[in-house]
Amino acid sequence: MRRLVLTTFALTVYAGTAGAQLVDLNPGVTPPTSNYWAYVANESSDLVSLVRFGPDGIEQEQTIAVGVMPADLDGAHGMTVSPDGNFFYVSLAHGFPYGKVWKYATGSNQLVDTTTVGLFPATMAPTPDGSMLFVVNFNLHGNPIASSVSAIFTPNLQEITQIETCVKPHGGRVNNSGSSHYSVCVASDQLVDISTSRLAVARRLFLTRGSEGLLETGNTGTGLSGNADRCKPTWVTVTPDDETLYVPCNGRGEILEIDAATMEIRRSIPTGRGPYNADISADGRYLVVSLKGAQSVAVFDLPGGAETRISTSQPVTHGVTISPDSRYAFISNEAIGATRGTVDVIDLETKTVAASVEVVHQPGGISFWRMSNPDETN
Amino acid sequence: MNHRNRVLAAASIVLLTIWSPLAAQEEDAPDVLEAGGRVARIALTSSQLSVARQDSLTFSGSFYDSDGNRVSGVRWGIFSNSAISGLQSIKDSIPDTYLFWGEAPGTDMMAIVVRSPAPTGGGTWRLIDSIPVTVRDWPVASVVIEDPQFAPIVGTSYKLEGTILTTRGDTHATASLTWRSGDRAVASVTAGGVVTFVGTGDVRITATSSVDGVAGTRDFNVEANPVRQLTLSPQTIRTRTGDVEHLEISALDARGRAVDNLALSFSVFGLDSAGAEIFDDGTFVAENPGSYRVIVTAGNIAAQAVVEVEARAPATNVQLVGRGPRAAVATSDLWIFEGNNGRDYAYTGTHANGGGQRMFVWDVTDPSAPDLVDSVVVDARVVNDVKVNGDASWAIITREGASGRANGIVVLSLDDPAHPEVIAELTNNLTGGIHNVWINGDVVYTVNDGTSAMDVIDMSDPYNPTYYGRWELRPGDTNKSLHDVWADGRYAYVSYWDDGLVILDVGAGTHGGTALEPQFVSRVSYDMGNTHTAWREGDYVFVGDELPGPSGYIHVFDVSDIENPAEVAKYDVPEAGAHNIWVENGTLYVAYYNGGLRIVDVTGELRGDLYRQGREIGRFSTSGAEGEAIQPNSPMAWGPQPYKGNIFLTDMNSGLWVVKHDRPVEMSP
Repeated sequence: MRRLVLTTFALTVYAGTAGAQLVDLNPGVTPPTSNYWAYVANESSDLVSLVRFGPDGIEQEQTIAVGVMPADLDGAHGMTVSPDGNFFYVSLAHGFPYGKVWKYATGSNQLVDTTTVGLFPATMAPTPDGSMLFVVNFNLHGNPIASSVSAIFTPNLQEITQIETCVKPHGGRVNNSGSSHYSVCVASDQLVDISTSRLAVARRLFLTRGSEGLLETGNTGTGLSGNADRCKPTWVTVTPDDETLYVPCNGRGEILEIDAATMEIRRSIPTGRGPYNADISADGRYLVVSLKGAQSVAVFDLPGGAETRISTSQPVTHGVTISPDSRYAFISNEAIGATRGTVDVIDLETKTVAASVEVVHQPGGISFWRMSNPDETN
Repeated sequence: MNHRNRVLAAASIVLLTIWSPLAAQEEDAPDVLEAGGRVARIALTSSQLSVARQDSLTFSGSFYDSDGNRVSGVRWGIFSNSAISGLQSIKDSIPDTYLFWGEAPGTDMMAIVVRSPAPTGGGTWRLIDSIPVTVRDWPVASVVIEDPQFAPIVGTSYKLEGTILTTRGDTHATASLTWRSGDRAVASVTAGGVVTFVGTGDVRITATSSVDGVAGTRDFNVEANPVRQLTLSPQTIRTRTGDVEHLEISALDARGRAVDNLALSFSVFGLDSAGAEIFDDGTFVAENPGSYRVIVTAGNIAAQAVVEVEARAPATNVQLVGRGPRAAVATSDLWIFEGNNGRDYAYTGTHANGGGQRMFVWDVTDPSAPDLVDSVVVDARVVNDVKVNGDASWAIITREGASGRANGIVVLSLDDPAHPEVIAELTNNLTGGIHNVWINGDVVYTVNDGTSAMDVIDMSDPYNPTYYGRWELRPGDTNKSLHDVWADGRYAYVSYWDDGLVILDVGAGTHGGTALEPQFVSRVSYDMGNTHTAWREGDYVFVGDELPGPSGYIHVFDVSDIENPAEVAKYDVPEAGAHNIWVENGTLYVAYYNGGLRIVDVTGELRGDLYRQGREIGRFSTSGAEGEAIQPNSPMAWGPQPYKGNIFLTDMNSGLWVVKHDRPVEMSP
């Protein structure tokens, strides 16, 4: 085994970044009655942050080193917690050449296993029972050729297959019934539905304005040149009843509302510049969209779609995850250069930022872990 | 298993099946899930899943619940890490059979899953069993015993090479040979194929394949030893550890004629020490001082020589001259140069820890007091590399981790070298991030993180850098990783990670290459891979690995035949891992990560393990004190550069160092 997983080196390098510093809640904020934890991947630090938000404030409670090579960023990009809360998965974008998925036990933050996937793995989505994990192989900076979604069997962290989808796949989600994995392709303007039972593309929807429609399942598309009609989809999220999909069109500054059964586009909702990631609250009430180009978050009241715009504490707003009680949205903000990124917690009832905390460099993937009573510690 | 291994997998299995159109979000029927949920074990119709390469095996399975009752209507699937496409291993509907197709020889584990009810509703794949599967290579067609290069002479021994060929003409992947002599009074042969001729006459040596029983033969007519006089010269040698000595061998028959193509046997004995090597061309090199006897035999005739080995001069002091500590951000590469104002400058990059968005500018005219005079900030999180062109009129810094993910390179004007100004940037085709660059006259080669290609940038107008094109190994194949490039105006030495060292003609003209349009010359790789950096001096290319730990070392390749590089030596510090290097005036400077700076005498001919030979002539720990390092007391040397009698080097954790080496008077000739 040539490339042993040696995390001790990274721990040495980054030991100085660990340690909690409690930050007060913002003035006027009603303190939460529970503790809330989320994991965040910091792409330019090769660290995962565990953030706690509670009645006493917010803190980066721990940092967990990921990656192997000392002088090459492994690029901790995607983050997802297993549905049972027992594991978190982090995708390492930069391999030699292929990226990896690392599996950790939550709480102890001990490495469990790793597996190799495709080029620049990005977002990940587990099935509701946790047995499968789908990883989009974004191939962000590679040649504009069709890439894939890796289907991983999680009990032994074994990649079963790579399902070819289209050019620069990103932003995957599994629906709540576990039957479909949806992802989009930034460069070929597609929404792709993969059957989790058959591990094959079931449907494709072309998203370029004026040419919308279903494609043949084998049509992987090409890298399209930029124009105003292109959606440049970056994410897809599913309503709790699995009936509706929301796709941020990063290139057009709008969100598409799509009927999941028919794949028909019902409407488009204008947003600020650069809508990127999206999540829907468990009660189906809120759609939260990060506006990467506008240093803000758009909170939509569903189903009407009234929007509240909330500024974030740092630019390049990236990830969104919502607590299961539908009360708080956790937002990762990459920031720029040497400025540390942040996690903002938005109170969805008051539509205000309840608290913010610095994490490390370029936080991106973020996933909610658990809630607990305020006396319980991790 | 990574994809490279997958392609080369010992066992690759493809499942063939027929597809039906898919319906959106279609889940299995409840009775199918219920059946799957009851399954406790599977019994396959084939007890051993073994197929020949490019052959197939159809098998089915019977499913049983925990009480041993047969369960029917189970939708099941199989997958293996080494399958070319696991996608094809799960059928749409309840399968009667699966068909294995053997792709590449070897053995792997196959998982068997059944579709079952998920605790959260709907269906899920549940692991039932994991079993070994084997793919056998093509049948053996022949065994060929190589025609030996030595004459069969009584008393001599040599190893026979046998090749097992398949019906497709390639070497069998798994079969081995057993060897047999037809007349042990004439020749004996070992299990590994070493033949020893013990008497005159005819003898047939047979090698039989462990697969299919196919045999090959070679006949020998063994003759008496004609050698009457064997000499080694000189018969005594005084040398130092690490110095390569060549012993001349002369074998004469009874009439004083030279005897050629003899299988000679070499050995070296320590008379009062141990630690020397004798190679089959008569080359001797010692790691430890002492007296050694070298013996060469040609059958029953022997000759000897004595080699007395002294220790090389001990390593000499490396003294600290000056410091430019950086405690807030990790430091990366460096470049030292004389600016147009006659003053000396060091430019240092910054790495991720602390936020690598900056290149620092140091005035090092007084090397004992590096003076931080400015910095250049760009939109990046790693400025991994810094390079200055030949007349110090412009420089390039690389970007990784730019906020908009448009990375590329940034060009600096050095009109005022103390305060360089950004005059251009180039991101076209370079968005994936640039890890390293090398300046070859008015051409820049970049290492593209996204495409693993070496991009070629025309810098004839530094204010308008122009993307000219790219050179890449195996265009269209994504399974490669590029890490560094170094060029001397004639050839470029490209470090291509697991593909090893690639040599390109970039102006030598031997292979039609030019600076803008490089042409392939040769490639050499080695098992450990992770080829990280390279540097040529004379006939040697020094190639560094980078491995976790950190570990990895410097491989030394003889490139006197540029089309056939040959690895001849290494420099391997056991307790540390190699990083960047610089070679100048017979001296190898290595930033050896946790081993600090290592200085190695690489004058003369190189053979064997340079570290064990005592060729290390200086070392310095770049361990920064509290407050002067982002990680105190933890050396992590990044890169060295000798300059005007001093050695400048950077350390990731502690910034810029300037040291002076009291170079030994006595170096190799």
